[in-house]
Amino acid sequence: MAGSRLQTVGSVFSRTRDLIRAGVLKEKPLWFDIYNAFPPLREPVFRRPRLRYGKAKAAIQDILYPEDRIRAKFYSAYGSGQKAFDLFNPNFKSTCQQFVEKYIELQKLGETDEEKLFVETGKALLAEGVILRRVGEARTQKAGSHVSWESEPSDVKSQTVLENNKPLPEALQGQHMEPSEEQSKALK
Amino acid sequence: MAPAASVSRLLGAGVCAGPLRPRLLQSATPGRARPSGRTLASAATPAVREPEGSIDLNDRILNEPLKHSDFFNVKELFSVRSLFDARVHLGHKAGCRHRFMEPYIFGSRLDQDIIDLEQTAAHLRLALNFTAHVAYRKGIILFVGRNRQFSHLIETTARDCGEYAHTRYFKGGLLTNAPLLLGPKVRLPDLIIFLHTLNNVFEPHVAVRDAAKMQIPTVGIVDTNCNPCLITYPVPGNDDSPPSVHLFCRLFQTIINRAKQKRRHMEALYQLQGQEEPGARGLTRPPWEDLGHSWR
Repeated sequence: MAGSRLQTVGSVFSRTRDLIRAGVLKEKPLWFDIYNAFPPLREPVFRRPRLRYGKAKAAIQDILYPEDRIRAKFYSAYGSGQKAFDLFNPNFKSTCQQFVEKYIELQKLGETDEEKLFVETGKALLAEGVILRRVGEARTQKAGSHVSWESEPSDVKSQTVLENNKPLPEALQGQHMEPSEEQSKALK
Repeated sequence: MAPAASVSRLLGAGVCAGPLRPRLLQSATPGRARPSGRTLASAATPAVREPEGSIDLNDRILNEPLKHSDFFNVKELFSVRSLFDARVHLGHKAGCRHRFMEPYIFGSRLDQDIIDLEQTAAHLRLALNFTAHVAYRKGIILFVGRNRQFSHLIETTARDCGEYAHTRYFKGGLLTNAPLLLGPKVRLPDLIIFLHTLNNVFEPHVAVRDAAKMQIPTVGIVDTNCNPCLITYPVPGNDDSPPSVHLFCRLFQTIINRAKQKRRHMEALYQLQGQEEPGARGLTRPPWEDLGHSWR
């Protein structure tokens, strides 16, 4: 059976069609009529993958929601949620998600001040029985003169956090500063 | 692409009306037009009728499904929701992204690419339809996938459809040097389905390029780090999560079995029709066939 092994030239279909038209390929292959009747959305032609140079970037947008602001504040204040994420359950609601929903509810009631809303959502969740352990208290302390001695012990303490029962505020805030900063940068 | 598709469908329909003409020629000059008609005209007449009937039947069996846009009812097998539940939309991180997959990506959530399921659904419908038609025409289908986690699953899927699978190391000239490696006169696959387009070192599988070389159409599940160029019917989707691969295997298995069943039904149906009225075939045939008769 005659064939063309030039996979870089055209598509499989164009090569077969031209071979048949030229009379080189005697028998029509099985798939030819099917391809004719139902062609793909893009003809499978070979393209050489070229690198992007300079400032050219892909046109893919980031997926961000308005609730992400609330989530960023939650994670910077309370660290990662106390309840583990159960991804097997499709209707699972994490502590953060409950917080976000309560926040939006209270926002719809008419409140505008973000900090007040934040505090009230915390209170509402505590009233429902969801425990929220604060981590953000140490942030206000950090802004002072304690930067130098905090950085060293936080690296050591971050490893021992799992061993100790009580959460060490300096260690946790050292871990969670970076993701919350990145998120707030992305939102800006 | 839509006008081109409709034009090609019209062309396809035009081809289907073709069998009229050879029948006219045969009725006028019984032994001349057929390649096997080397015998005398009088002796050729009864010999010509039988193959004419079976070839006509064969043509009808083969061309009938091409006239319908969804002969095998592919639409009802899945929905965008079922694709989402099977985590088909999850891609790799943005750093692994292949440039040619960008049109199929919806966006990136915290640096993880999310595949556009609307496009996936459209591509999957085309791919399943093509597979079904190939299976209907008794084509050989080869499942290829090099991810060891799903190697057994792919092999059992292929066994359950009655088709073939190759999930081990792909030897160099398996497709391109088949007469040497597999023996003389080996029939190559008519369709290759890739459950994983990449091999274990994250390079494009050799069979993608080799199938393009040997003019074998391919259907492939392309993840965000794969190159979809040479694959005839790419399906952008997740090829790493178990629910996703299980879903795709199930879809291919269902559609191939359905197509083979349809083929058995059609053959039985047309054979029954042929047997009921051997001489006068006027009643059960569609109206355009009678034009041929009136010309006699």
